[in-house]
Formats: sequence, C-alpha cells, structure tokens
Amino acid sequence: MFEFIIAGMQAPIFLLVLTGMTVGMVGGFIGVGGGYMVTPALIVFGFPGYMASGIDVMHIAGKSVVATIRHRQLGNIDWILGLTMVGGTMMGVEMGVRILNYTKALGLSGIALLTGSVAIMIGLFLYTQVETHRSQKKINELTKDGKTVGRELSVSTLPVFFQSIALKPIVRCHTARLVISMWVIVIIGIATGVLAGFFGVGGGFIRVPALVYIAGATTHIAVGTDLLEIVVSGGYGALRQYMSGNVDMVAVWFMIIGAMFGAQFGSIATSFVRGPAIRYILSYSLLLATTGAFLRLIYMLTHQQYEFLNFLAVVFTLGEMLFLCLFIMTLVIFSVRHRHGKWVPGWIPSLVATP
Amino acid sequence: MAEASKTRGVIKFIVWGTIAVAISVMFWVEYFNGTMVSWYYYQAKSDGWAINSATFVNASKDKPAILEIGPFQKIEGLQAVPVKKGDRLPANTTGIIDKKTVQEGKRVTLEGNTLKVTVPSQIKEAKGFKYKDTFMHKGIQTYPWGGAASVAFILFLGLCLGLMAEGFTDMCGLKLEKIKHYEGGH
Repeated sequence: MFEFIIAGMQAPIFLLVLTGMTVGMVGGFIGVGGGYMVTPALIVFGFPGYMASGIDVMHIAGKSVVATIRHRQLGNIDWILGLTMVGGTMMGVEMGVRILNYTKALGLSGIALLTGSVAIMIGLFLYTQVETHRSQKKINELTKDGKTVGRELSVSTLPVFFQSIALKPIVRCHTARLVISMWVIVIIGIATGVLAGFFGVGGGFIRVPALVYIAGATTHIAVGTDLLEIVVSGGYGALRQYMSGNVDMVAVWFMIIGAMFGAQFGSIATSFVRGPAIRYILSYSLLLATTGAFLRLIYMLTHQQYEFLNFLAVVFTLGEMLFLCLFIMTLVIFSVRHRHGKWVPGWIPSLVATP
Repeated sequence: MAEASKTRGVIKFIVWGTIAVAISVMFWVEYFNGTMVSWYYYQAKSDGWAINSATFVNASKDKPAILEIGPFQKIEGLQAVPVKKGDRLPANTTGIIDKKTVQEGKRVTLEGNTLKVTVPSQIKEAKGFKYKDTFMHKGIQTYPWGGAASVAFILFLGLCLGLMAEGFTDMCGLKLEKIKHYEGGH
C-alpha cells in the first residue's frame, strides 16, 4: 500500500501498475485511450470519482506518447492526416462540452445522455461487426482462389463517397495514401470530438472507425494516427483536469510505468495481425463497454434501487480489460504458430498477417 | 549491419533510460519535499478557513473535531487559518471550509475562536464503491504553471520511456520493420 499525499488515501501500487499495463496493451492495439476502463478501476481502488477521471486523463496523455512512438516505428502514423484532424477534434470536444452544459441547464437528464451513448456504441458495434465479418469472408474467398491478400481489406463503400467530395483544399496523405478534402477530415475531427465531449465516450472509439469507414485509412494507420491525436487532446484534457484539482501525479507515474510495458506489447501486436482483427477487437470492446454503460443505465432507471447492477457494471468493466488482453495475446500466439506452419483454429488465418 | 543496429539500440536504451530515471528521481524529490503538494494546494478559491482534513477523519456529531482558528504559517493538527479568495494557502492545507458552509451551520459551526466540525473528511457511500469527500480538495486552486509543468513532465516521460523501449528492442535484435500496408492488395 502506498500513501497518496494529494489524493489523501492509500492504494496498492501493484494494482495501479497492472491497470496501466492492461489498458496500455488494449489502447496500443486498438488505438483508444481506455478511459472507460480506468476510471471505474480507480474508483474501486478507493480514489474519489473526480480524482479517478483526472488521473485517467493524465495517464492517457503519457501512455499515448509511448504507443505513438512504437506506431511511428511501425509506419502506422499519417502525420498530415493526424495534424489536419487535431484542430477539428479540439474544437469538437469544446463544442461537445458546451452543448452538454447547455442541455444540462435545460434539464436534460443523465439518463438521456447515457441512452444516447449506448445507442451510438451499439450502432458502431453492429456496423463494425457486419463489415468486418464480410471482410473476413472476402479474405477467405480470395485465399481459396489462390490470390494474395494484403494487410488490409475493408468492404465498406463509404470512403469512396467521402473521397469524391472535391471541396478545396485537397489534402494528400502519403502514408495513408489518401487524397481527400481537408474539410472532410476536419469535419470528422469536429463530429467525433463533439460526440466525445457530449457523451463522454472515448474519442478513440469513434475516431478509429471514422478514419477507416469515412476517410478510408487502413485500420493500422487509423490506430496509430488516432493515438497521435490522443497525445494532443489528452494533453489538453490533462491540463484542464490538473487545473480543476483532479490529479495525483504519483498515481499517474505508477500507471505510466505499467503502461510502458502494455503499450509496447499492444502496439507491436498490431504487426502480427490484419486490419479486420483489430476491428473485431475494437467492436468487442465497444460491446463490452456498452454493456457496462447499459447496466448503469438500468441502475439509474430503477432509481438506484438495485445496487448489484452498479456492482455488475464495475465487475464487467474490469473483466473486460482482462478479456481483451487475453484476446490480443491469443491472436499473437496463434499468429506466431501460423507463421511456423503449426496448427491454428480455422478462423485464425484470415485474421493474422503472413510474413 | 545488425551489429551496428544493436549498438545504436544499446546507446538509445542507455541514453533515454538514464534521462527517464533522472526525471523520475527529480519528480520523486519534488513530491517528497512538498513542492508538488504546494502546487496542488496553491491558493484559496473562496473565502473561508484553510484546514487539514486528515485531522478530522473520524469526526461525527457525537465526537466533533474542534479546530483552533489562528494565523498559523503551517497547519499542525486541529487548526484552521482564515483565508480570502486568492490567498496563498498555508503549509499542510488539504481543503477549505468556506463561509457559506459555516453560515449554514449543518456540518460546521463557528464557536468563538474555534470551528466545530461534525462530519468526517471522507465518507464511503453506502451504495457502491464511491467515496465522497467533505472538505478535502474543496475550495482550492492549483498553481497554473504547476499544471503545465506536470503535463510537460508526463509527455516527456512518455517520450523517454517510448524511445528507451525502442532502444531495448533494437538492442535485443528485434528491430521492427515498417508494416507494408499495401503489399498484396488493399
């Protein structure tokens, strides 16, 4: 147990490092900050709610730097795409927070916000699941025909439409191989930022699918570029949280140490898989996060009578971290086995990259 | 070629590892000598009394904590220092009891030169895992430059750790190549 002077409480260091590590792994793999997992975990460890969210945001900023460096080495970052979008994202987050405050002033309840958040997550989950399933099927068909399948395959036709919008200036993103109107990228940033700021759901959850299905970037590049975005938006959020007195820096330090190991593994693990594998894990994490939010929604709708629902929501969120880590590790292990010509389950070859 | 890469990896690992350790040591020194704590509990956000909430963790209606009011430089034990909005907080402050709370008289009452506190500093809510603070962290304003320094520190620490890890994999001969995103069809 360590005494956190600023937070004014005691918590086990081991659990903080472990949380940083698991969230680092998931975040490095699917390109999200992981705030929806960390905040409940810190509350369970005894941190007050406001401290938990502040520590979470500050640790996300640092962790994203670690993961971004590794993704840069793997060539997963499109700097032009990321830096064009970042202004829109910041503007969007600010707009989202202001709309949130306005609707609160109008008397719109937390239940409505939670319902909206659940609806968006379910929508994204369904679209990602259906599209990824079709992509996997297509990969299997192409492989059967003896054709070589690359790192990425997406059957979504949305990017074709968005790339055809010829509103100047046109941006050329060399790494992502995109020629797209700057306004499309900025609007993606604003829209995802507004949703993140308004509903309080992580920006990465929405931005990664948006980069894949609207801009047309590959999943790997969407993950790396999103992490670059999180460095900037997370840094800004961290400053705001610190100014509000919500951060104990020592807790952040312990989590960053754990995240260093996790983010390395998560980022490197992307080099073992194809795009659809990342999208699958992203969609499952969306589903699991939605389930946690849904349980909290029922808890609120039943006037907080059934305490086990709240308890279940926290247990679910914590269990999700473990499940996603195991899923990522399983994919890496099977990918290595597949490369060495050893037996793997039938669903693996279409998801893992062949050297 | 591979040897040169490993050597570069060793250098990278040592240089960035050393910087990461150095800034972490500096961080811990600043934490334990109280600088970071003073950045956090920097100045008063409202008029009231600066207190150390740890001194009344078990306060209750039956066993109230009596805080002595005075212009102390450092709060030691059951003491409270009157502060105005914008004042620098005395050492050991962990929260402010504002004037409004005292005027309400539900949780704190002013009795002569003392404050009578009838609630503990932190309450574990009956429902769930949540903790509710009473006066801890309340009414305080952090040092703005401390916030900027903390964010800069975290981002720089992330940079050092990231480059150190990159050096480590190079050193171990696990040099990672750029992913060929478009090879084999897209």
